[in-house]
Amino acid sequence: MSDKQKLVDVKNLKVHFPLFGGVLSRRVATVKAVDGISFSIKRKETIGLVGESGCGKTTVGRALVAILRQLYPDVEIDGSITYNFNGKSVDFARLKPRELRKYRSKVQMIFQDPFASLNPRMTVAQIISEPLQLHTKMNDSEMKDRVGWLLDKVGLQPEQAYRYPHEFSGGQRQRVGIARALATNPDLIICDEPVSALDVSIQAQVINLMMDLQEEFGMSYLFIAHDLSVVEHIADRIAVMYLGNVVEFGESSTVYYDPRHPYSKALLSAVPRPDPHRQRESRIVLEGDVPTPLNKPSGCGFRTRCPLAEKSCAEEIPVLEEHALEHWVACPIVKEKNAG
Amino acid sequence: MENTPTVDQAAAAQEQISLSVLKKRWLKFKSIKRGYYAFIILITAYIISFFLPLLINNRALVVKYEGEIWFPVFQGYIAGSTFGEDVPGEANYRELKVKFKSEKGNWVIMPPYPYGPYEDVTTAGNKMYEEPGRGHWFGTDNTGRDVFSRLLYGFNISLSFAILFTIASYLIGVSIGAMMGYFGGKFDLITQRFIEIWATLPFLFVMIIISSIVRPNFFLLIVILTLFGWIGMTYYMRAEFYREKTKDYVAAAISMGQTHKKIIFKHILPNSLVPIITYFPFAVIGGIGSLVGLDFLGFGLPPPTPSWGQMVSVGLQNMVKWWMVLAPLGALFTTLLLIVFIGEAIREAFDPRVYSRLR
Repeated sequence: MSDKQKLVDVKNLKVHFPLFGGVLSRRVATVKAVDGISFSIKRKETIGLVGESGCGKTTVGRALVAILRQLYPDVEIDGSITYNFNGKSVDFARLKPRELRKYRSKVQMIFQDPFASLNPRMTVAQIISEPLQLHTKMNDSEMKDRVGWLLDKVGLQPEQAYRYPHEFSGGQRQRVGIARALATNPDLIICDEPVSALDVSIQAQVINLMMDLQEEFGMSYLFIAHDLSVVEHIADRIAVMYLGNVVEFGESSTVYYDPRHPYSKALLSAVPRPDPHRQRESRIVLEGDVPTPLNKPSGCGFRTRCPLAEKSCAEEIPVLEEHALEHWVACPIVKEKNAG
Repeated sequence: MENTPTVDQAAAAQEQISLSVLKKRWLKFKSIKRGYYAFIILITAYIISFFLPLLINNRALVVKYEGEIWFPVFQGYIAGSTFGEDVPGEANYRELKVKFKSEKGNWVIMPPYPYGPYEDVTTAGNKMYEEPGRGHWFGTDNTGRDVFSRLLYGFNISLSFAILFTIASYLIGVSIGAMMGYFGGKFDLITQRFIEIWATLPFLFVMIIISSIVRPNFFLLIVILTLFGWIGMTYYMRAEFYREKTKDYVAAAISMGQTHKKIIFKHILPNSLVPIITYFPFAVIGGIGSLVGLDFLGFGLPPPTPSWGQMVSVGLQNMVKWWMVLAPLGALFTTLLLIVFIGEAIREAFDPRVYSRLR
């Protein structure tokens, strides 16, 4: 793939949250939420980011929209996130706040909880027109038309524009959230578990809506989820995260049907498959809990629960290696086994 | 066709569904009768009190003297000699009215209650310690001033003072508390330490020292009280903003590039209004209390100003003249009671539980 088609390139991204304690507020520990991950998103592509809760998925998403610094003033961000907007490469971290604001319309976010992501004191019209006010020079009637058009696009009635969020159901609110993200024609939409708060029947509706919209407007998605079957449906490529690192990255079908990393295998064996004729595979049950990102094990983060763990795993952090074409796995043991 | 709702009705129904939260709370407040009527009474009384010079005054509304028309209420001081009256200084309109009754063409229209809050025994006809009666409804005090008129003028001053003080201290307290909660980090840490130090300053001693250097007036007193009064609100706003900031709608606003100012005032503040509105009436009570207390101790408004605290203090020195004590205390009690009713109703209106009202 040529570089031109790349929309965003994440290189060795690290996000650490320092913890302070004691009388003098000294730094006592560091939460390594994201610990050196690299991936890229192409235009019109959907990347699925999966992992257990607490593995840093959401932090990656928030780093991409560059809101971590404002939300957590103490956060330490390292590495680079380079966007490529119409041939112009932009690194949000290097921009002054005023310049950054201009590019914010290009990267938008859909949030997990549709009950918290819409301001309860604003009508739907106010919510959707806010990004328009910031990034376009529309007058009131143009704005009204655009809001009605957007509501129509996400499957709501334009007459509902003057209602408040609490008058909508969860699925409808998520549609409002999608309309807000769509308002400024972004190049990338970060979807932070957009369906996990919804009913299964509504999940399918919202996912299909998002896929239709991608077809129509051609933006890229970073789809964060913990439900692999959802991700397999929507994503072109999947990245599996564990404890702040990507352990496997590849084409969606490859990762889904032929996982290589022991963690991906365990994760996928836990997905219920509604097919009564299929033979029951042996479920891999991992022992113990996810270690805390405060005190990560040395070497491979997964070695404490890994069925294949060897002594050498504790020594160095495994890097992503291409095991097959466009299929990257961060486990030297698996590679050895496959080779030998 | 009768049952088909018209477009207007549909729009009205729609509107009814889509009431904002504040409107719903206002409707609930209106349904709590005790608080709502207290609110109506107090607001009406407060608005009327701005027109007191037209209602309760020793200056006449209109005087016609030898073909010329005078408006002493608006014109202010007019010497008695202007109207052919043999008094030193300002005209005595009550006597003028009696005098003009026998003169043709000359007349005086007095306000409904013809005694002012400032005239004392130096005005002819005024006596000290007059008992309540037809002339002076609540009697006169130790300097011959009319207690009833001073009481009503004092109502306007007390309430204006308390409201201005509350607004001023809330403006500062809300802004600083909001910034502390929103920006967090070092700004929060340093400001919080400063507030802790500032809060330990003994207010009364500072007040005594200041009022021994400068004679405080209405606005100086508000400034001084505000300097000490803004702190309480910062605690609530700081906590509110810390809580609201973690919600996703703030993250959404940041991610679309909204400015800090807009996020604070347009997004978070409307969601943090509960402590501001529910505490407002009680802060007004506190303001009235502080003014009465300072006036009582003699560090408040300068003496001729009609103030309840000074009236209570003078009344206590003349306990036998019961009207001088009961009148200001009764007025204070009634006002505070009305405000408490309002505050209670507001608190209930903001309570999400529907059946929690004590009856």
